[in-house]
Amino acid sequence: MKKNTQRKIFDFFVKKGFNDFIGVPDSTFSEFIRHGLKKNKIIITTREEEAIGVATGISLARNFSLVFMQNAGFANTLSTIASLVQLYQIPIIFLIGWRGYLKTDAPEHIKIGQIQPKLLKALSLETRIISEKNWRKNCQWAFNKITHNRPCALIIRRET
Amino acid sequence: MIRKDAIKITSKLVGDAPIISANGFISRDLFEVNDKNSNFYMIGSMGLASSIGLGIALKKTKKKLYIFDGDGNIMMNLGTLVTIGSLKPKNLVHVVFDNNSHESTGGQPTNSKNIKIDNIANETNFKTFQVNTKDELEKTLKKIKNMAGPIFLLIKVSKSKRVSKRVSITPTQIKTRFMNSL
Repeated sequence: MKKNTQRKIFDFFVKKGFNDFIGVPDSTFSEFIRHGLKKNKIIITTREEEAIGVATGISLARNFSLVFMQNAGFANTLSTIASLVQLYQIPIIFLIGWRGYLKTDAPEHIKIGQIQPKLLKALSLETRIISEKNWRKNCQWAFNKITHNRPCALIIRRET
Repeated sequence: MIRKDAIKITSKLVGDAPIISANGFISRDLFEVNDKNSNFYMIGSMGLASSIGLGIALKKTKKKLYIFDGDGNIMMNLGTLVTIGSLKPKNLVHVVFDNNSHESTGGQPTNSKNIKIDNIANETNFKTFQVNTKDELEKTLKKIKNMAGPIFLLIKVSKSKRVSKRVSITPTQIKTRFMNSL
């Protein structure tokens, strides 16, 4: 995704009132993170589950929060999403980089990339894939979800 | 001192301050001895009570926030000390009830007696305290009440055959009443 679009997505959520973007970095949206670090709104955690815990606390204190990670990290978080986020109905937006979307990606990304749609479906986590064209509509969709107390995921494909 | 007694003393002395309690017997003990709206019982997601507490502490900076953790829990998420120690919330108190075991699953050993968790906390920017008796616990809780954190309090407890009842309110009820108490 273009750098400019990544910055626009970040600014979209800031305008909606988000002050906290928590997670483990992914090169798929490195400009999103670089832009956020510059604005001092990023918390980098040691693992993805930890990021979800921090985001849960922020949500309990009635603030919006977004958790970012790559899909290898998403696979780490299945239990946390089921037994914390969904169990307590914590409204968090997950931003997940889709490594392994292209079959030419590095070998460590292929398997998780392949099963990622199935994992999301198995969790019943509502998901939209965002692109240059549809990002604004789908980010608005995600924002509407969390204002109704429903967690959801936005996916960015790794296309290079 | 058994964990349930330590939890009773600690929860009474912190008053109405919010408490995030770890899954298993810690939440069950707290629910039985001193149920309050400001208790958040984390019934699953082992390891993450301290992370949830960090998120709240960052947003509610005027409220002292207590995490009731266990040795098994903290060792499952040691990275939390790195993140808390980097952000240094002044209002966060991380209490660890250490019985050197996974008591909720049948008392299997953890490795907490082989290492020094409080030294790790010390190296990650916490003010660190360790207590072994009820008397020390009460004195330390009073001492840290107005102290700037992050504070790490390690309470050595022994195992016990007394098992508390399950948390009988639903997760969404736990959430709603906790949020309203903040």
